This record gives sequence, C-alpha cells and structure tokens, in this order.
Amino acid sequence: MTESYKRYHIDTAPAPDVIPWPSRFRVRVGRLGLAKLLIKELYHYRGDLELALSRPCVYGVFSGPLGGFMPRERLCVGCLRCTTQHPDFVEVTRNPARRRLGDSYFTAEFVGAVAYEAATGNIPVKGAGYRGRFAGDGWDGLWTDMSEIVRPTRDGIHGREFISTVVDIGGKPQHLSFDENGRMIPPAAHVFQLPLPMLFGPPPPVAASRDLYQLMVRAAAHTGTLAFVPLEMVRSLDLSGNHVAPLVGPGDESQLTALPVDVRLIVMTDWSKQLFDSLRHRFGEAVIAVQLPFGQPDRLLALLDSGVRVFWLTADYHGRTADGRFVFDLIREAHLSLVDVGQRDRVTLLGSGGLVAAEHVPKAIIAGLDAVVLDTPLLVALQAEFEGEFRSPDDRGCGLPSELTVEWGVQRLQNLMAAWRDQLLEILGAMGLREVRRLRGEMGRAMLAKDLEREAFAGIEGYDGH
Amino acid sequence: MATDKASLQQLADKHAELLRAGYRAWSSLEHDLPPAMGDFRWTAELILAAWAMAERGTLPDNGLEFRRGRSGGGFDVLDFRFLPESEWTPASQEIGLEIPLNRRGEGPLRKIDLPFYGGGMSYGSVSEQVMLSRARAAKAWNTFTCTGEGGYPPSLVPYKEWIITQVATGMFGVREETIQYAPIVEFKYAQGAKPGLGGHLLGDKSTTTVAELRESVPWVSLFSPFPFHSVYSVEDHRKHVDWIQTVNPDALVSVKVSTPADVDMVAVGSYYAGAHIIHLDGSYGGTGAAPEIAKKNIAMPIEFALPKVHGYLEAEGIRDRVTLIASGGIRTADDMAKAIALGADGCVIGTGDLVALGCTRCSNCERGRGCPFGLTTTDPELQLLVDPSWGEQRLNNYYSALAQRLTDILRRLGLKSIDQLRGRKDLLVYRKDLATGRHQGTMTNDG
Repeated sequence: MTESYKRYHIDTAPAPDVIPWPSRFRVRVGRLGLAKLLIKELYHYRGDLELALSRPCVYGVFSGPLGGFMPRERLCVGCLRCTTQHPDFVEVTRNPARRRLGDSYFTAEFVGAVAYEAATGNIPVKGAGYRGRFAGDGWDGLWTDMSEIVRPTRDGIHGREFISTVVDIGGKPQHLSFDENGRMIPPAAHVFQLPLPMLFGPPPPVAASRDLYQLMVRAAAHTGTLAFVPLEMVRSLDLSGNHVAPLVGPGDESQLTALPVDVRLIVMTDWSKQLFDSLRHRFGEAVIAVQLPFGQPDRLLALLDSGVRVFWLTADYHGRTADGRFVFDLIREAHLSLVDVGQRDRVTLLGSGGLVAAEHVPKAIIAGLDAVVLDTPLLVALQAEFEGEFRSPDDRGCGLPSELTVEWGVQRLQNLMAAWRDQLLEILGAMGLREVRRLRGEMGRAMLAKDLEREAFAGIEGYDGH
Repeated sequence: MATDKASLQQLADKHAELLRAGYRAWSSLEHDLPPAMGDFRWTAELILAAWAMAERGTLPDNGLEFRRGRSGGGFDVLDFRFLPESEWTPASQEIGLEIPLNRRGEGPLRKIDLPFYGGGMSYGSVSEQVMLSRARAAKAWNTFTCTGEGGYPPSLVPYKEWIITQVATGMFGVREETIQYAPIVEFKYAQGAKPGLGGHLLGDKSTTTVAELRESVPWVSLFSPFPFHSVYSVEDHRKHVDWIQTVNPDALVSVKVSTPADVDMVAVGSYYAGAHIIHLDGSYGGTGAAPEIAKKNIAMPIEFALPKVHGYLEAEGIRDRVTLIASGGIRTADDMAKAIALGADGCVIGTGDLVALGCTRCSNCERGRGCPFGLTTTDPELQLLVDPSWGEQRLNNYYSALAQRLTDILRRLGLKSIDQLRGRKDLLVYRKDLATGRHQGTMTNDG
C-alpha cells in the first residue's frame, strides 16, 4: 500500500513555566495616597461602591483581595494606565531582576521571547510598531525582502498553499548516471530529508542529564528532526531510533556496535580518516557529518576532497570564533568557498552558535546554511538560567530547573519548534518563496543595512559610508 | 464590570477625568519621566512631548526632546543644515505647508493644507470614537484620515470629504457607496508593519458591531490575506484603478505598498497603472498587532526607501506627475521634514495620532479587552474613555504644534514652502555621534 500524504504539523499545547520568571514590571502603590483616594471617592460617589472601587487596571493587577494595597505585579503588562492616572502615588518600573535573565548575548528580551514561544507554541505578536534600535551588527544588519504583488506562494502563510520547510541532509549527486543499456544507475542513498531546517545540538556537560537527553530525543522524534547525542549517552541510555544522531570521535571505533541500526546521521566530532572509513563501511546507509569550527574554509575543502559531504560548523554560543569573527560572515565564507569551487550543491552545511531567536534561522540560511543546529535556545526553552556569561560548552554557569520533567520538556521543545517554524513560514511567505531550500544563500533577497544606508545617505554632509 | 449604559458612562467619566489630569501632569514634568515608559524609537520624552503638544497646541517649552528618538539610525541620526539666523526666511514671509495630491495634470486637483494626513486604522482595530476624533481634526485642518479596512461607520459619513476609503484584500466594508463617498480611494497592497503577511483582526475584537460593518460573523478572526488575488501585474493593477474610477470618477487613487528591494519599480508600475499617490509604508511603523519578527526583519525602513524611489521616479521622468507619501515610523515634525528632504512630498501618521490621544505605546493593543486607554479597542466601557470632542481638540492641538515646527524648520533653512524641501538631501547632516549603540542582541528595551 502506498503511503498516504500527511501534511507536516507540530502539535502544540500549553506548557507553562515550572519556575516563575521575575515579573516584567514592578508596581509600587503608595498606601497613604491610595487610602486618601478611597475615602475621597467613597464620599464623592456617595457610597456607590462599584464606581468608587473601580480601578484603572484592566489586567487584574489591583483585583486581588487587597486591591491596590497588594498589587499582583506578575499580571502587569506595563500599560502604565495606573501611573498615568495616579502619578502621585503609583509607580511602575522595569524589574531589574528580569533584565538580568540570560547574558550579554542571549539578552533578557530574547529569553522572554523564547520562554513565551516554548510555553505557548505561539508567535510573539504585539501592537504599536517596532520598538528597537534602527539596525545593528550581525543578524541585525539585514532585512529580508518581500514580494509586493507577484509571488508564487499566494496565501501560503494562511494555509491555503503549502510552503515546504523540508531540507536535504547528505551529499547530493550532481548528475544522473546510466549503464551501458541506458538504464539509470540509482544513486547511493546518502541523502535524507528533515521536515524542518532545525536540529538539536548536544547540551553542554554542565546541563546534561539523562532526562535532558531523553526529552531531546523524544522531542526530535515528535518534530521529525534529529538530536545530537554523545555516543556514551546513546549507550548508557540505550537510545534507539533514527532521530538520534550520535556524536562519535576518534577512538570510539570499538564502541560503534552501540549505535542504533537505523541511524541516519552520525556526527564525527573530529576528523579521522580511519573512523570515517570505518563508519562508511559499517553504516553504509547513514550520512556521516564532520564537526568543524567556522572560519576554516581550506580545511573544509580538503575534507570535501576526502569524501565528506555534510559539515557541522560551530561557533561559540555568542556566535563568535576564537578570532572574534561573527557567525553571519563565517557562514558566508564557508558557503562561498564551496560556491567558488562549484561544489556547493553537493554539500550540506549545518551550523551552530549565536542562533538565539527565530529570526536568526532564516538569516543563517540566507547567509548559506542548509539547516541550523540549536544549542542555548533549547536550554532557555527549558528555563535554564545562566550565571554570568555563557559562551561555551565548557562554561559552568548554566542550570536547569529541578522541576524539569521529560513530558514537560518535550512539549516545551515542540512548542519552540512550532513557533520558530511558523516564523520561518512568515519570512518565506512574505518573500514569495515556496520552500526553504530556495532560501539558502539567497543574499539577493536580503537587504544589508550598510548597503542601503550608503545608497540612501550618500552625499549627506557628515556621512562617510561607514 | 458594569453593564448598563449609564453605569458604563459614569465609570468612563471617572477614569477619563483622572487620565486627562495625568496626561497634563506627566507632560508638564511634574513627576519627572515615567520610568517604564518608552523605547528606542519612541522615547518617554517623545511620548510626553506629543502629550504636551496635544494639551497646549504648541511645542513643549520645558526641555522635553520633541525632535528625535534614540534608535541610533535613520531619522534619528539626521539633522538639518540650518542657516545662520540672518539668512532665515523672514518672519513676515508666510510659509506654505500645503501639498497637492494630484499631479497627473487631469482630474480633480486636491490639496491638503498640511503635508501629512492620517493613516488607515480600521474600525475594530480602533474605536469609533477615535475614528471620529481623527475625522473631525482632518476636517478642521483640511487634510485626510483613512478608514483602514474595516468598514465605514455611519457616524463618519458627515466627514466623508476628509476621509479616504481603503480597499484591501478582505474587502471589508467596501461597498459602492463607500467608494463614492471618497475623494481618495487607497489600495492597500501591503503594510510596513507586516509586509507580505496581510491583516488580521483577532476574534475577540470582532464584536457584533464590528462584524456587522465588515459583513462578517461576530467573534471570528478576520484575515485580510496578502496579496490581492486579482493582481499579478501592472495591467491587473490598472484594472483595479479602472474599477474605482468607474464607480467614482472623481476619486484620486492612492496605492499603499511596503518597501521591498524593488520598491522603486513597484512605484513606477503603480504610476503607470494610474495611481495619483504612491504611499510607501516603511517597515518600522504600524499601529496594529503584528508578529515581532515581521516588524523588525521584513522590508526596509522608510528612510532608505524614499531616496531610492524618488531618484527612480526622477530618472523615469515622472517625478512631478505623482505624489509620493511616506509612512511607517514618522513620529515627529522633524521626521516629516527629513522624509521630505529624502524625497517624499508628504507623510502619513498613525501612531502619532494615537500617542496624542494618550497611547503609551505599551504594545498590548490586542491583549484582553484591548487598549486600556480606549484607543485600540471596541470594549464598550474602555472606548468611552475617548470622547470625540476631546479627541478632536487633542489632535487639533497636536497638528498645530507639528505645523509650527515644520514652519520653523523651513524658515531656518531659508525656504518658503514645503515643496522646496523635497529631495533636498543637501540640507541634511549625518550625525555620526548619534549612530551609536549598535550591539547585537540589544535591539529593544522591552521589559
């Protein structure tokens, strides 16, 4: 029986925070001022309690048993109506504890967005326009294009037409081959598809636990993606299934029997010709990827010559390499180095580091990745808290809540993936692209702030193009 | 919550009185700046300055910054090359702020007395009281406001000469008579806050009254999907223009588009399809709810689109046959003057109107019962916080202050009318000292 078509879908469900985040705002009500107001209004409205006791907040901050005497500030959304109305005794401030969430790169606002996405599966939607800086470095230095009138997707994002987020992982043949009888020779199956261009990277040792690996693998299975898991964890947890992508290194040859038989992707954490050959021999159906730091295009081309077709390029959690370069430029470098030698379509580039918001995924793909490998966003979705800067897997300042359960964690990651995929669809829909594979390396559909500014402001006194 | 009409009005009166006192107190800096107010684009000072202008009809004289925000780019890093005082346009010389909206050399010539008009905000996304306030102010200043795509409440009909009817893909409230009412019909192809994504009114805001006007089912979310199914080409767009001009031969046609990479070609195509007004809506504006990812990341800011389109229209030899209107992040009179110097003829404002009416830009427009200040809501109690007479006066005052500042800018540049400023990039200065703070990951200051 042929397999029936099934539209890709990620199930979302509410998965509220297990530990309360600090509220966004602090609400301070002067008790004397409030008491005076109460007396004045009771007198003024002649005992009409409904009128006298009606308070400005429409979100319930003053609707607790003690009203304004004990504001419920976790409900405050910062509308400022109370302080506008009663400036003499109500003050609303931003909560400094909230601002301390995350670190200097994974800032509190990104933490807030990821937490919301993981809790609800929804896209963050707000009114009143954009509130941020005009432009910035790195990811914030470009805007994606949109298609005004003529577009292939038509109402794609509204669900009437499908926009594909499927990506190919593996080495694709560049041409068809035929035998002497003119029959096509089937290409070796060294490519498979994932329904979304996001994979789960391995957690850092400080946060790693059996539960964490279990939930990542289950969430990967539910969303159809892959979770990178060190070989020793695959063994000790007896993980199986083709959503596990084992991480193996030189010296692991003797333990390869622990790998699931249906493994689709094996990731070598360092290059070893011997291990590579061994893996290819023993797991002929699997795709073998090699981890490589960003910023080494010559090495990448050399490994390409050695037969590697899938690369996992890595930067630190802040998207930087040791020499301080940012991941956006490094993706471009890797992508273009393959374009220059005419080999880009034979290779899959996965990348990680510095991808902490939904908007970074399409931008990384525009820069040249095929798919991203997520690291810290998965931890933040699970309410990890950072202590100080959390830059590398070797850093110690990251803790997951003790209340974490596998069921809850699975749902949080599913929600996050659903929200990020939906936002990817928004970008693709606006650009008029029918599939994410068309986005890869499409810098022509990106608008760089520096270029636009140079075009627009050239000739203005004081503008020097930098 | 009170339910009968009298109680609702009493509640609204109580809170409106306190709110209005609060707007006065904060804008006169009696309590310093509200610590949780503002963001990089609309700082607390800009918000309070707008309140002050709406209170008094003049520019703030208490030191509030009313010219620019702190976004570190775009309008916020531009300044004017003001002349020495001896070279200013003399005070005896009247400065002209009016702009023509039809430059095609045929059809009705419509001029507005200010180089800006009100952008589309639909019934449902804002209250009827807000729409009425804007319509009355538009009448007072001989400019326009726009229905947005949500129907035409009957209370607006007396002001129809100052109201633009918007036609968008959902066609909500688009009827023969609403096209015939309109001196200008605006096709909304896209909007800057959510380019390529269409409009979306959440079910909670689609009340029975809203649904009736939109000829839809109450409490059901309404999509105005992007794009027009009937338009794949300039020729298709021409058919749209023909349709409007058949129904209302006296109407000017405005085409509202977003700012993609090829915005210049879109503008030229719109002109050849018969548009009188090309309305560019940059990516950083918008009043309604939109996905955060869209607001920040899709399409270019208006500051960069304007010189591109202005230059392309000039190269095509049609610049003086079409009116170019800018919106999407125009916050102040200074922004308007900068937009015009970058190539626009005039501007459209939306958020500025709402801030003048008391918006704190808290971004909770779609949450719960809607705007707690009675602006972007159809909640029966909350919408009563804005009385149309009060709202009209606030906007009259606000427009008066904006006009004063525009006049002042032109005078200091030695110009006699706003059209002399168009495309004069040479009158701008880039302030590198303000282009700071561009750090990855600190794009907003939300709590």
